[in-house]
Amino acid sequence: MAPDIRFDWTGTVGSVVLGATKTEGGTRKISYRIGGGSTLPFLSGNASSPSPLVALEICDTSEYWSPVIRNYCGDLVDDIHAWSQAAETLYGADLVRLYLTSTKERNFSDIVSVKTSIEDVLSATGLPLIIEGSNEPKIDSEVFLKCGEAGEGERLLLGTAEASRYRSIAAAALAYNHSLIAQSPIDINLAKQLNILLREIGVPRDHIVIDPYTGTLGYGFEYSYSAIERIRFSALKGDADLAMPMISSATDTLTVKEVREADPKWQDEIAVQWEFYTGIAAAVAGAEIICVRHPRTIPMLRKAFLDLKTGTAGPAGLT
Amino acid sequence: MPTVTFFPSYRKIEVESGCTVLEASQRAGFNVNVVCGGQGKCGKCVVFIVSGKTEFDSQKFLRFFTSEELSRGACLACQTTVQGNVKVTIPDSTLIQEQKILIEGTEIGIEFRPSVKKYYIELSAPTLADPSPDLSRLLWGIQKSGGPVAEKIYAPLEVLRDIPAILRHSNWKVTGTIALVPGGYRLIDLQEFDTSKKLYGVAVDLGTTTIVVYLWDLVSGKVLGVASNYNRQISCGEDILARVNFARKNGLTKLQALAVDSINTAITMVSDATSIDLDDIYEVVVAGNTVMTHMLLGIDPEYMIAEPYVPVVRRALSVASNRIGIACNPNSGLFAFPAVSDFIGGDIIADILACGMGERDDISLLIDIGTNFEVVLGNREWMFSCAGAAGPALEGGEVLYGMRANPGAIEKITIDPGTLNPVYATINDIQPKGICGSGLIDFLAGLLTACVIDRTGRINMEIKNPRIRQGRFGPEFVVAWASETDIGKDIVITQNDVKSLIMSKASVHAACITLMKAAGVTCDDIATIYFSGAFGNYINKTNAITIGLIPEISIDHITNIGNGAVTGANIALIDRKKRKILDNIATKIAYIELNAEPSFMDEYTSSTFLPHTDLSLFPRVQKMLDECRLRRN
Amino acid sequence: MALKALDIYKLLPKKNCKECGDPTCLTFAMKLAGGKADIDLCPYLDEQAKSVLGATTRPPIRLVRMGVGERSFAVGEEFVLYRHEKTFYHPPGIFFKVSDTQSAEEIAAVTNRVRDESFVRVGADLQVNGIAVENVSNSRETYANAVATVEKTADLPLVLMGKNVDVLTAALVHCGTYRPLIHAATLENFREMYALAKQHGCPLVIKAKGLDELAGLARTCSNEGIRDIILDPAPQSLRDFITTSTSVRQLAITRTVPDLGYPVFLDATLSAMQDAAVALGIVKYASVIVAAPLSPASTRAALTLRQNIYTDPQKPIQMNPGLYRIGSPGKDAPVLMTVNFSLTFFTLEGYLEATRIPCFMLIVDTEGLSVLTSVAAGKLNETLVRDSMKKFAVENEVSHRNLIIPGYASPLSGRIEEATGWKVLVGPRDAAEIGDFLQKGVEKVDADCHVLPELP
Repeated sequence: MAPDIRFDWTGTVGSVVLGATKTEGGTRKISYRIGGGSTLPFLSGNASSPSPLVALEICDTSEYWSPVIRNYCGDLVDDIHAWSQAAETLYGADLVRLYLTSTKERNFSDIVSVKTSIEDVLSATGLPLIIEGSNEPKIDSEVFLKCGEAGEGERLLLGTAEASRYRSIAAAALAYNHSLIAQSPIDINLAKQLNILLREIGVPRDHIVIDPYTGTLGYGFEYSYSAIERIRFSALKGDADLAMPMISSATDTLTVKEVREADPKWQDEIAVQWEFYTGIAAAVAGAEIICVRHPRTIPMLRKAFLDLKTGTAGPAGLT
Repeated sequence: MPTVTFFPSYRKIEVESGCTVLEASQRAGFNVNVVCGGQGKCGKCVVFIVSGKTEFDSQKFLRFFTSEELSRGACLACQTTVQGNVKVTIPDSTLIQEQKILIEGTEIGIEFRPSVKKYYIELSAPTLADPSPDLSRLLWGIQKSGGPVAEKIYAPLEVLRDIPAILRHSNWKVTGTIALVPGGYRLIDLQEFDTSKKLYGVAVDLGTTTIVVYLWDLVSGKVLGVASNYNRQISCGEDILARVNFARKNGLTKLQALAVDSINTAITMVSDATSIDLDDIYEVVVAGNTVMTHMLLGIDPEYMIAEPYVPVVRRALSVASNRIGIACNPNSGLFAFPAVSDFIGGDIIADILACGMGERDDISLLIDIGTNFEVVLGNREWMFSCAGAAGPALEGGEVLYGMRANPGAIEKITIDPGTLNPVYATINDIQPKGICGSGLIDFLAGLLTACVIDRTGRINMEIKNPRIRQGRFGPEFVVAWASETDIGKDIVITQNDVKSLIMSKASVHAACITLMKAAGVTCDDIATIYFSGAFGNYINKTNAITIGLIPEISIDHITNIGNGAVTGANIALIDRKKRKILDNIATKIAYIELNAEPSFMDEYTSSTFLPHTDLSLFPRVQKMLDECRLRRN
Repeated sequence: MALKALDIYKLLPKKNCKECGDPTCLTFAMKLAGGKADIDLCPYLDEQAKSVLGATTRPPIRLVRMGVGERSFAVGEEFVLYRHEKTFYHPPGIFFKVSDTQSAEEIAAVTNRVRDESFVRVGADLQVNGIAVENVSNSRETYANAVATVEKTADLPLVLMGKNVDVLTAALVHCGTYRPLIHAATLENFREMYALAKQHGCPLVIKAKGLDELAGLARTCSNEGIRDIILDPAPQSLRDFITTSTSVRQLAITRTVPDLGYPVFLDATLSAMQDAAVALGIVKYASVIVAAPLSPASTRAALTLRQNIYTDPQKPIQMNPGLYRIGSPGKDAPVLMTVNFSLTFFTLEGYLEATRIPCFMLIVDTEGLSVLTSVAAGKLNETLVRDSMKKFAVENEVSHRNLIIPGYASPLSGRIEEATGWKVLVGPRDAAEIGDFLQKGVEKVDADCHVLPELP
């Protein structure tokens, strides 16, 4: 009798489709179906759940971005076309997450630029996109609708709905058949509450990706880790209002003291390690999209996920 | 001296010039409602001057009156002085209404068996042939008249000294009073001739703001009168914390004296009104929260209010009334209810006694809500309790147009889901001045079922309706237009008000769930929910469940016990068997410190949703809301 | 599964005899349920009750101590699979591996690094724990010398790694009294290995593929009197590690296979993605992790992750209450009050630093509760704020009398004003908006209609 682990799971993580290929009505080279897991992440016998995806985060106004990335990527950060192209071809990301940081500007009104930026990125890369829209509640409605329109047919993942502002983004997602990110501050109950709110205004479950908010390593990650783990656990226990895939983005990583004040000689190294440790732990807890900003983190995470997923990373595996 | 005549009763009293109408009314035996302690803050002691000379600065207190009331001579009794012969009308609403008492309570087996009893006996005088001592003669006589065994009765020195004179002076016809005290029986009084019909007792609810006293005839088992009074300690601080701080700085003496004084005033009021001699009151039973009880007994409460929150004493106490200065027979006993912790005091034990939950097998949940709340879960075998701060929102505080349950407060509301027009009722049916706790609960439930707010309480600004608008303080909903109100302004509920309410209700619900989880019981296991305190009397039970203030159980199983503290005190006064189980109840209760309970934060967050994040806890509400949403779409 | 207080109460004698030190059986049951009392304190338990309660309160995973002296530490004695269910108690030891084929200088350099390198985070010193010395040379003398070099350099917990019993025996002559961990007893050599471990009183790693074999070997060694056992399930890949490690933990804590009730060993050097293996070991139940010396960046990240995962999720890390300075605030700098929940502190501090507006942070002692919870629980109140302001002499630091409080504390604004005499300004609920809040000044007016401070 071989001892075996047994869980009395009754639930499955629902799945969400990201991106649309030509046959699916879009122009992406690839589309992903995330979710579907029926046990804890990476356990043997859980073939239905795909490997976590790694997204590179970029932005349309680089003055808001960390100098670490500006130093490493150089002029690229001022050219979203080239930057998003590099995400795919040079850095090997699975997804591109575009932050429309331009909307942070005071009295931002150039709604047309939202459309052109998104179209620019869509033309530069064949990867599915995550679009982070408005940063200002006043212009939410216009910006999100414009995002939705610009990416019509592409099955975007739109960000970010919060309990205090979810109606505009939900309207845009529903109108153009996109999915959306539902973010709550590191609390399983608040995550569930937002999902119920979204459900009640008609957003289907398979159009929601949960963002439980990831505090970076040393700055709240202990809470985020358990929030992610608990959400996955509740989904497997059968709570349909939490049975969505999760996205993790430790957006503070590059601004924490350890990275910000690091010796320039190894600032890149510490930035990458910080993103890597945060990302892999979040994935083990249950996140299925890991967002990073440092290009060097991408291959490390992808390689680790491959071995975690298949156990066959060649000589990379434990021998 | 000026005469004050009170209408409609035509009761008259002479007072010195400058005396307040409040004091005059109290001397005349009226129980005027003065929550604030006569400071002109609560606006509850409204009277109407019919004729005569008085002084009252109506400009200062305009907020308490409608213009119509002012034209009829309305004023606050506590702020109005008598300057000549005056005629005053006291409206019913100003008098403290008699509390409903549930002492019928046959299901918990209350019987009339007080712990003091009088025995009238006629003894034969001693002779050379029968030279037994006076005391033995007396106690034998009592035993023969059905009293306790003579050897078991203890006679204190004070009584002993009076025995020979009284026996002989009355020609051996005397009435002895025997009390059952923790040590056994005690001869507490001896009177000449037959006074056996004159045996009274009082039950006291010693509250932080109000004191309620019931006077009982302990022979017939009838309530003779009820009086209430504010707790005069208010002058040393509004809340418990302030009073403990006052005691820390200035000593306990003043607070103790004020507590005694407040009780004595109430006792005197009711004994005067019923023409009963204070010396015939042989027993006093007091139920109060832990700090109040400590202060009454002159025990330092300081160590209770800071960690590790240790009271000096938890068990029930019996002391001689005269040692703390209570106005009654000097040899009478005072019984103070036991406590569980600093937060779960004698008042809650009295609640438990009143509802009988500690004597039944099925499980009850007792909730006492004020600014603080206390929750007790359990049955005859075990009980868990906790306490916390609900925040003032449920009492109308910290809400823009919130107010206490005073005249003019909107106390009931329904909202038409189509037009969103509210239908409301105010206390005393006058134009609204604000909204009180029960109204706020109705309102929250109404907005939710009309889909005006989402489950986190956010007002949906996309709804086109003049009542929904962006106000000075963010999104708001207009409850009453300025033209309908008494304050000349729109009465609104703001987004922040809704949030405060949700936070308050979440504290209470999370406390209930925390106890239920500690005990491992679910809603289905709870046979009855008891509401104690004034709050429970007014709230709409269905709406309280709809917003998730309390766990969802059938509303037929929710009972208001009214003022449980005074009911419990009454029970303990008239039924000595019930009194005996109090210490048992108190030690049985385990206190859960919510601050130290790691899951409380989790429960709280999941309760900050309408009705709750875990909708499976509210199946009926969920079904109802689903239907509301369908109708809406 | 953990029993509820009431379930335990039903098994107790209900005499309320107070001999356990608790006033009632129910309060004792509550303590038992929370793991805060020992069942042996009750003198009246019958055997059956004792066995039921004993099984639920005794740790399902053995506590094993590593090394001796100042740097010694213990692993194991864990109770849960998910840290949110309770907490993880004993952080894994991380050992940097050296090989006996390296020069003495190299070995000493690594040893020195482990001895000296440390950094402080939230009041704790974070350090790598010890040295693993691997026998590659297969020479008794070389190995013994390498171990001796480590021993001479620092007093650190050790792992002796080798297949050859003779070689390990030679090294144990040097360090046998310091309780090094011996790696590893396998199906081939377990008799010699447990004899060796027994002789020196050392903890022993048992290595086998397959949980059946692992459990069997553990039982054999345990029967031989070896109690301090560590399990190495010899994973083939990261995926294999996570699966076996989760299995061992789950089977142990449910007491399904008591022979797996020991801490788990992970040799991360076997993975080409050593950083990944270390991270996984930390989050997924490894108790002893051996790794080639990690880069400084990776070391920091790994130790931070370990600290994060092994904090008590139910007991927030607290900051010391006090008046903290952001930049060099002057007399007119704003004063922001918040709670001493570390996450609140760090988040707010981070955003405040980003604003570059010098200011004061008044941290009051809510025992680590967040703003929301401490308001709900009554812990954050006007008295606390007033007393803290007095204690930290806030009024001597600034010339104005304006206090900014967190958005979630807005219900307290009036009472704080009354208690302190300061004007209270209600800040945003989300710390991320604090920059806007401070910068916009009077532009944005809060619900309580207070005018915001004018800032330098």
